[in-house]
Formats: sequence, structure tokens, C-alpha cells
Amino acid sequence: MITFIIRRLFATVLLLIIVSMITFAIFFLLPRLAGQTPYNLAAQYVGKVPIPSQIHAMEARLGLNEPLQVQYGRFLKGIVAGETYSTGSSKVYCPAPCLGYSWKNQQPVWPLLTSNIPVTLSLAAGAAVIWLFSGVAIGVLSALKRGSIIDRLSMGTALLGVSLPIFFTGAIALFLFSFHWHIFNVQYVGITTNPLLWAKNLVLPWITLAFLYSALYARLTRAGMLETMNEDYIRTARAKGLPERTVIFKHGLRAALTPILTIFGLDLGLLLGGAVLTEFTFSLHGLGLFTIEAIGNSDLPEIMGVVLLASFFIVIANMVVDILYAAIDPRVRL
Amino acid sequence: MMRRKITGLAALTAAGALGLAACGGSSSGGGGTGSTSTSSYNAAVSGVVNPSSHKGGTMTMDLNVTPDSTDYQNTYYAYMWDFVRLYSESLLTYKSCPGKCGLQLAPALATGLGTASDGGRIWTYHIRNNVKFQDGHTVTSADVKYGVERTFAKTLLPDGPIYYQVLLQDPHYPGPYTDRAKNIMGLTSVTTPNPTTIVFHLNQPFADFNYVVAISQSTPVEPSWDTGAHGGANFQLDPESTGPYEFQSYTLNKQLTLVDNPYWTQAGDPQASQLLSKIIVNMNVNQSTVDQNQLANYAQLDLHGLGVQAAAKDKILTSSSLKADSDNPVNGFLRFAYINTKVISNLHCREAIEYAANKTTLQDAYGGPVVGGQIASTVMPPTVIGYKSFDLYNSVSMPNGDDSAAKAQLKLCGKPNGFSVNMAYRTDTPGDQQAATALQAALKTVGINLSLDGFPTAKYYSNFAGSPAYVHSHDIGVAIGGWGADWPDGYGFLYDLADGSAIVPAGNSNIAEINLPAVNSLFNQAAGDTNPATEVTYWPKIDQDIMADAAILPIVYQKVLLYRNPNLTNVYFDDYYGMYNYAVLGLK
Repeated sequence: MITFIIRRLFATVLLLIIVSMITFAIFFLLPRLAGQTPYNLAAQYVGKVPIPSQIHAMEARLGLNEPLQVQYGRFLKGIVAGETYSTGSSKVYCPAPCLGYSWKNQQPVWPLLTSNIPVTLSLAAGAAVIWLFSGVAIGVLSALKRGSIIDRLSMGTALLGVSLPIFFTGAIALFLFSFHWHIFNVQYVGITTNPLLWAKNLVLPWITLAFLYSALYARLTRAGMLETMNEDYIRTARAKGLPERTVIFKHGLRAALTPILTIFGLDLGLLLGGAVLTEFTFSLHGLGLFTIEAIGNSDLPEIMGVVLLASFFIVIANMVVDILYAAIDPRVRL
Repeated sequence: MMRRKITGLAALTAAGALGLAACGGSSSGGGGTGSTSTSSYNAAVSGVVNPSSHKGGTMTMDLNVTPDSTDYQNTYYAYMWDFVRLYSESLLTYKSCPGKCGLQLAPALATGLGTASDGGRIWTYHIRNNVKFQDGHTVTSADVKYGVERTFAKTLLPDGPIYYQVLLQDPHYPGPYTDRAKNIMGLTSVTTPNPTTIVFHLNQPFADFNYVVAISQSTPVEPSWDTGAHGGANFQLDPESTGPYEFQSYTLNKQLTLVDNPYWTQAGDPQASQLLSKIIVNMNVNQSTVDQNQLANYAQLDLHGLGVQAAAKDKILTSSSLKADSDNPVNGFLRFAYINTKVISNLHCREAIEYAANKTTLQDAYGGPVVGGQIASTVMPPTVIGYKSFDLYNSVSMPNGDDSAAKAQLKLCGKPNGFSVNMAYRTDTPGDQQAATALQAALKTVGINLSLDGFPTAKYYSNFAGSPAYVHSHDIGVAIGGWGADWPDGYGFLYDLADGSAIVPAGNSNIAEINLPAVNSLFNQAAGDTNPATEVTYWPKIDQDIMADAAILPIVYQKVLLYRNPNLTNVYFDDYYGMYNYAVLGLK
């Protein structure tokens, strides 16, 4: 098992390096291939009224005239050891881990990114709890009551949840519960500041986000449960006289949950990279809104930073799932 | 939104008084000097709604974007110039009063408007006694000089205007952060003979210099504040206040809280007021929520000041009570299309575009007559000093386009069947894409084929439409644009759009590449005219020359539908900023 984990860790690091190379190429190689000169690239970092001397200084400061592999090497070095951008006596320091420096905000990217993580984490974690429990519960119920009105109603609602985009359900929820009935005012409050208000203010985004995912999970659980409950060992369990609750939860659900947990890990990893639509709809300052803002400002260092961080979350989630899966099913380790 | 720059002011030869220099300051503060009125549709366009001296309350402002910077020396947006007056005091400002009255310059930190000497190359200002910073220290002229020096530190503070670099005698001064010990207070072209006098030495006469110091960049800063955690790029997180409020907390691009500055006095800052206990600014709130928050009274002001979206517009205009709490003014911004004079070098071909454009569909593209704007026929909007109405291409009289005149021009151009050219537009600016499509459809009816090229706003001026080399190599004959003045006279509006010396390799705003000797000469003559009454007569001439050259296709004088929260006091539309005057607002 330890060998397996070490192997996965190495693979994860390699994957992250590949992701960083691709990301770097997208932002620095592709514009060159499209005809952008280092001068053009530098012009976008020097404010709204660029002066030629200032653009040349930025060109030198970012080393845009150097070969790409040198620029990439410096980028990697910055992540480990920090980076100093200088033009003559003017210096800007970006401490490690330096994922770049936002010239628009005049701040290193890393602290800007990390300041948004609590919101995204709160949103993703709360919604994940809701969708996992509600999705699985609805799925189990539907599978057990197959063909009944409950099943049809549940699956109909699930279809609705999958079909309706978050910016629609979110806007409706906001209009009704916030602006019309004044029940919830969606504004992020830190969990350490006021846990109750933290939860109350996030209820609407949680439910909106969970509505989509629980619909997916309900359908997956239902399908898994229907398959599992028809297995021979379930029949055997029942023949042995085990209580129905034990048959369903210990033997049926446990087997059906394995693929659900795999998907759950990946979904959570994806969301930690930013629930873009939910954060935008509810104006929550997480990584998703940060990404939209960075794209709107064409703030390339920020965009690059968020891509790398999101990749990190996904790759790590993938690794955790692999390890858990290996623990559950030893055949994976072979 | 303001966006213009100044690059190489060629041979401006005049000095002296400005067209508006005679307009004195008001000592009223608070509600200003305009007429008062009760709440009704457009009541705040020409009068003060809910005049009150009531003090207290927390005002919440929502902003749908993030500002370029909260550093008053590093910002270049109209809404931020309006907003920073809450915590800064520049040498001059604009009179706090509704309507055209608000276009007049007024002393702020200075005791009066600047005195020009040496033919307009030297400008002297005296500052008020006993104006304090938020830490209780007295403001001196050296602090104003330091603030100006900061504007030269373009590496750290790249976003503000560059007027001082262009106009002052030592344009290569690196700013106070570079080799700090050596260069601090090293800007030789600004002198401070005593603690209350500051003198600017320009490299050329510049009659509009009072307007330059009315920009927030002339706000004083103590060098001792601009260090460590407060210093340089981090100054934006806690800028030193001389205005009625000061920063209590600021999480970058998320939330800002202002509280009263205990050292502020009305006598030291007569155009502002300190009626609120606290101001909270929520940033990056999506516009739909901004609108709903105002209607639900979760927030009292839309800081961006660009008006409500379609959903809220319909709700407001169909409810008599909500409509009574709204205003629909022209905000001084022009929506237009550049017609590049190099790519489409034949005047008649450009005139064909002017005639064929369907102004009605273009107006609809920006939202129609209420939230889009009023059909434009001139480059200068009606709110600019020197505006004169004319309609060279029947834009108002034939708003659906004059196809027969367009075809006649195409014959004269030697292309009776039309021609093909590319058009640039901003993909993320509301209305621009629709306007591009509408123009494409209108011109197609006379055989002019436009191929659309969309670009993000952030790179539009730096890399694409604002790069003449790119424009020429990609055959971009038409480019959609928007424009607001840095100051409200013809020079402030027209110079960057139309002076030949304003054409630059990157970040170019004269995208049409207008370089007419007659226009360049008129700019010089106007700048050299020390008589305010005659100086103002040059602007309509320049406007007419630009239009006669068919280099600009005016689309609409932008209008906005602003919701005026009924709890606000002293509300009025400020013609200079193109939104409500934030410096005097209070709550019931």
C-alpha cells in the first residue's frame, strides 16, 4: 500500500508539472505564435495609459525577450524560492510560493488566491454535505420504491435539477428568499467570526448548488442500488433472514456507494477550484468570482495562478480517490 | 468611464485664464447651491432631492466591478474620481451643485484657482491653513508635491493619467520610490517656496492646467505615511485621508469600510460634507444584485453609476412610485465608431458610412432612448462646454439612414458597388457587439461589407484597436468606441480623439488617426487664447472639422437610468462626473 501511495504521489507531482507547462505555454507561447511581440505582451501589464519607456521596462522586468524555457525555469524557481522582478534599481519581490505577480492589483498572486479559498471551501463543503446526503437518500428511496409515485416524483425533480442552470435557479432563489421575502441576505461572513451567520448566509448558495448535484447523485445512486439489489448475495442475505435495513444499508448501499464516492471526490476537487456560476450569481468572493474578475481584467498572472490551483485541487482529489479506492478494492494496487 | 491620455502636447502656446476660471467656489458644502426639489422623475437632474443636514447612518454602496485602484493617484475612472473625494482633497475640484453648475471649477485644498505667469508656463497655488491629515498632521505644500511625485512612479502606480509627466519640466523623474534617499522631493519642476505655496513649472504653456490639478492626483500625501505596510503599491489598502472619511478596513477588491475622519473640517473642504457615520462598499457584486439590492434597500447606491439593467429598468419605469425615484440624464459619454482615415483613405467612402448607418438600430443596440442614449450627430455631447448642435449627415433628421446619399458617396469614392473592410469591437462591453452587428447590417444594404473582429476590453487599446500597426495590418477600417472627457471643455473631450500628436504606437485613442493640419492648428490656437469667451468658440469648429472629415461616426450621447434610493439625502446628478455627487450624500 505504501509503495502504491508513493507511486501515486510521484505521478501527481509529474502531472502538476505537465499542467504548469501547458498553462505556461497557453499564456506565453500561443500569443507569440499568434504574432504578439514581447512589446505587445508587456503593454498589457502597464496600466491604461502605457508609455513606451514603461512598456520596454516591463518587457525587461518580465524577461519576455528571453527564450521560453528560461522564462519557464524562472517561473518554476519562483514557486519554490520566490522571485524578484527588477528594472535597474526598481524592484518588486514576490515571495515563495510565487505563482506570479498581478501587475493590475500590484500584489503577488498567491495571497490573492488564498484569500478566496475560505469562501469557495465553505460553499463547496456545505453544498457537498447537502447533495451527498440528499442525493443518496433520494436515490435509495427511488430504487426501493421503483415505479412508485415517489420514484417518479424524485426522478422528475432530479431531471429538473440537472436541466436548470445555476444562474437561473440562483436568481430565482435570490429574488424570492432574499429580495422579496427578506429571509436570507447572502453575504459571506467568516465561520470564525459568526458560525450561525456563516451558515445562514450560505444556505441559499448551498441549496442552489446542491440542487444540481443531488439530482445527479440521486440518479446515480438509484441506478447503482437497482443493480446491486438484484445481485445474488442480496438474495442470499435476505434468505439468511437478515433484517431488511441491514440488507439495504450494509450490503446494498455499501456496494452501490463505491462509484458514488469516486465521483464525489472528483466533483469536490472541481468545485474547490471555484464554483464559478454559483459564486457569480450570489456575488461570493471565492476562487470562481476571482477567476471571472481575472479574465475580465485580462490579468494573466492571476488566471495562470487560478488554473494551477484548480489543477492542484483536482489532481489531489484524484489521488485521494485513487488511494481510497485502493484501500477498498485491493485489485487496484496490482 | 473615463479613458483618455495625453501624449506629447505639441506646441500649446497659451496661458492664462480658463473658460471656467471665473467661477468661484461655494462655501455651502452639503447640499450645494442648486435648487431644491421633491422626489419625482428626473428631479435630481436639475435640483437637489431630499436636502438635509441630518447626520448619521451607514450607507452601503455596491460596485459591480473592482476598481483600478483606491489610490487617488492611481485611478482613472469617473466613478472613482467621484468616490475618492470621500477620503481625499485635491487642490481644486468641481462645484457641488446640480446641472451645468457642477461643471465649474472650485477651490478645494487651494484657496483659489491657480495663478498663471510666464505666459502660462508657471502655475501657483496657495493652500488653506490648518487642513489636517487623518493623523492630525497639518497639510503642507510639500505634501502636495509628494503626491504629484507619486504619479511618476509608473512601475508601481501605472493606472492614473500622465498629465504631469507630459506637462512638467522633468518628465523623466523616476518617482519617489526609486533610489528613495536620493530622489525624495526630487521633482525639480514643482517648488514649494513656503508651506502654503506650491508652484508648477511647465515645459509649455497650458491654459487648462487648473483642470489638471482638479484631478485627484494633486491630493497631498505625507512621505512618512507612504512607507512600510502603507507604502507604494500597498498605499491603496489604506490611503492617507484628507477628506471627510478615512479607511477603517479594506479587503482588496472585496469590501471597503470608511468612517469619519475626525480631523476633517467643512471650512477646509467646502465642496464635500461629512453626514454619514459609516460607508460600506461591496465590490464585484453582479449588476443584477446591485439593482435588486438598491430596490430592496440592502444598499443605497450603485457606485459605478452606469444605471440599472434591463430587468430593473422595466420594473422602475412601469411603477409610478419607483419611477419617481429615478433619473434619466445624459451622462456626458459618447458611444461612437472610429472610421480609420488610413485604412479608408477616401473621404467619400467614409462619408458613405456616415450616411448609411442606421442610428435607430444602433441606438437600440445600446438599449434604446432611455438607457441607451440620445441619437448623436456631433462628437462633443451636450454636457461639454462649447457644444454646438449640427447634423452634417442627417443623423437626427433621417435616423434610419440615408441610403441614396450613401450610394452617391460610394460613386464619388469610385466604389459604386461598395467595399469590404474589418471592424473591431469590444466583446465584453455591453452594447458594443450589438452595435457592431447593427452597423454591419445597415452598411450591407449599400454594399459595404464589414467583417467583425471582437477583442476583450483589457487589450482593446493596448494591443489591438489602439495599435495603429495592428489596425493597418488587419485592415480595420471601423472600430467601436466610447469616450468621456477628463475635464468638461472641448480640449478635455476632443484632444486625444483628434489631435495628430495624440497618435501613439500602443494605447492609442486617436484610432481614426485624425491628423488634420486645420484641427491641430485650432487646438493650438484655442490653447493660446487667454480670453475665455473666445476660447470656447474653437471647440465647435474642431467638432465640425472632425465630422466633415467623416472620421468619427457618433452613435448616441449616452443616457443612464439611475435609481435614487429614497433614503438618500442631498442627491443630485453631477454633470461633470456623469453620476450622483457622492461627496455630499447623507441618509435620512
